[in-house]
Amino acid sequence: MGAAPASRDVTSYGMGLAAPLALFFLLFFVAPLLQLLWLSLHNDTAGLHWGLGQYLHFLTDPFSLGVLGSTLLLGAEVTAVCLVLGFPIAWLYQRVGPRLQTIIILIVLLPLLTSVVVRTFAWIVILGRQGIINATLQSLGIIDTPLKLLYTQFGVVIALAQVQMPLMTLPLITALGRIDPNLDDASCSLGAGSWRTFFRIVLPLSLPGVIAGCTLTYAAAITAFITQSLVGGGQMLFMPMYLYQQASTLQNWPFAAAISIIFLLAVLAVVSVFTTLGRLSRGYGWA
Amino acid sequence: MILNRRSLMTTALTLGAMKAFPGLSFAQARPLVFATFTGSWEEAHKAVLVPAFRKANADAAMVLDPMLSVDQIAKVNAAKANPPIDVMLHDPGPALVAIGQDLVEPYPVEKSAYYKDLIGEAQEPMGPAPFFQVVGLTYNPEAVKTPPTSWADLWKPEFKGRVGITNLNSTLGTGWLVEIAKMRGGSEANVDPGFKALEELKPNLAAVAANPGALATLFQQGQIDISPGNFNAIQILKARGVPVEFVAPKEGAIAFKTTIHIVKNSPNRELAFKLIEAALTPEVQTTLMNPPYLIVPTNSKVTMGGEIARVLAKDTAELKQKFVFQDWKKINEQRSAWIERFNREIKI
Repeated sequence: MGAAPASRDVTSYGMGLAAPLALFFLLFFVAPLLQLLWLSLHNDTAGLHWGLGQYLHFLTDPFSLGVLGSTLLLGAEVTAVCLVLGFPIAWLYQRVGPRLQTIIILIVLLPLLTSVVVRTFAWIVILGRQGIINATLQSLGIIDTPLKLLYTQFGVVIALAQVQMPLMTLPLITALGRIDPNLDDASCSLGAGSWRTFFRIVLPLSLPGVIAGCTLTYAAAITAFITQSLVGGGQMLFMPMYLYQQASTLQNWPFAAAISIIFLLAVLAVVSVFTTLGRLSRGYGWA
Repeated sequence: MILNRRSLMTTALTLGAMKAFPGLSFAQARPLVFATFTGSWEEAHKAVLVPAFRKANADAAMVLDPMLSVDQIAKVNAAKANPPIDVMLHDPGPALVAIGQDLVEPYPVEKSAYYKDLIGEAQEPMGPAPFFQVVGLTYNPEAVKTPPTSWADLWKPEFKGRVGITNLNSTLGTGWLVEIAKMRGGSEANVDPGFKALEELKPNLAAVAANPGALATLFQQGQIDISPGNFNAIQILKARGVPVEFVAPKEGAIAFKTTIHIVKNSPNRELAFKLIEAALTPEVQTTLMNPPYLIVPTNSKVTMGGEIARVLAKDTAELKQKFVFQDWKKINEQRSAWIERFNREIKI
């Protein structure tokens, strides 16, 4: 059997199999991105004069920076809400019987099967002046005049948290499932209380899931054009709407391209912070 | 794309013909593509304009491609030499952008049988206006007992927290801002008084909708009771049983010409012209004027009737007298600055 190449390392793989996908990405992801970058490096809308004018315009304008800041903050708020509400569900999932597990997974997945537009409209119905919340509070006599819930930062955060919740819960369920339940018992038998066990054992070991969930939720929340504009309304400006306004309404493509690149870089920065945390956590979890 | 036996046959025959005569280019084999607006416009055009065009042109192959004006411009701009669209539909602002970017052809006026019958305001040599959109006051008659009569009514203290507007992304929002600027002594060139008026309107504002569609939803939800609104959009809500009424304010309802254009370098120039001709005929315009579409006709030979005659105008003369047309050339010059200013100043 001398046909098998003896020098071939078993850990090396043929790159040929990955080539079609790589080509696909080059053609439909990298190339348009480069085109976007090229477009953003022009000072005029016709694309004749090269320059960094669009970036300067954005980075020296407190208003634009404010839009970027509030978008990144919105992502942080939504991620925090998802984590606080999603963790107990994922934890519960690992502690209940198979029948309840099916129900929980169904509840977590169900929203994914409904269009984002439908879910967002449902939130308009819930948060409106005569919506479910206001109607209930009024009939209970707790408030006299309807609360303003729609078109507020609060409303956007709540609606986005619900819409993006599966992205947080699913990685958490996976991460918590990998933790050996015996570790809990061991911790307790060594005299740690439940909270101590949670903070010293469960939380550190689930950190990879937390990081993955946070990254997904964060990225999805800050780019959620539909929910942001419908629940936030026309006077609350976040990056996706700002981009749309410049590109579509004003046909100012170079500035819109610059906004996209800046937004992309900002998101990449946040995501890399998350991954760095993830790498640190892995060391911590194994220590 | 509408796929049926006939269009499959046409395609098969065309492909066969191309094989037999290799000189035929693929571009000529493409059906006529008409980019209309989404929603009620698409419905109206599918039900009335397309059948009329097919009937007059031996079932010529055509496709409706509904999208926003700005997206039409972007698409044609991306492939100027071989545009994917033959006929574009535009609000006044985008129409000027399309003309300015050299994306449309002059309308062959001398060949047209109906152009001269259009009322003066609709005779646009770069693309006539087969339809008008009208913006006035819309209100919920269950919550607002005395019908409003003027734009100024929006500032009344009784409407505290009940007024809705749209931001300036839409033709509706921008046109309305110009109108309230005019009401306070401004003009298309000077909207400062308009922004000042907006500042004073803030206590009354319940919502700034991201687009006119979202504004309609707010009426359904009872989130707002009064707003500047589009006549056609209100008719759709009314037909669905939402309590909402339209009035033309005494300052004059704002009329937006919706113009229709032949795209430059279109491979289907002749059919494009015929589609536009069909849109200008009194027959098509009369059908579109009647329920459920209620689109304001521009052909002076059409006799106004029904809801349009009741709320808007009985005839062309009254229409001209009651409608306000705005100078969108002036508006476009500063629109981006206004949008930026609105972004900064209007926080509620």
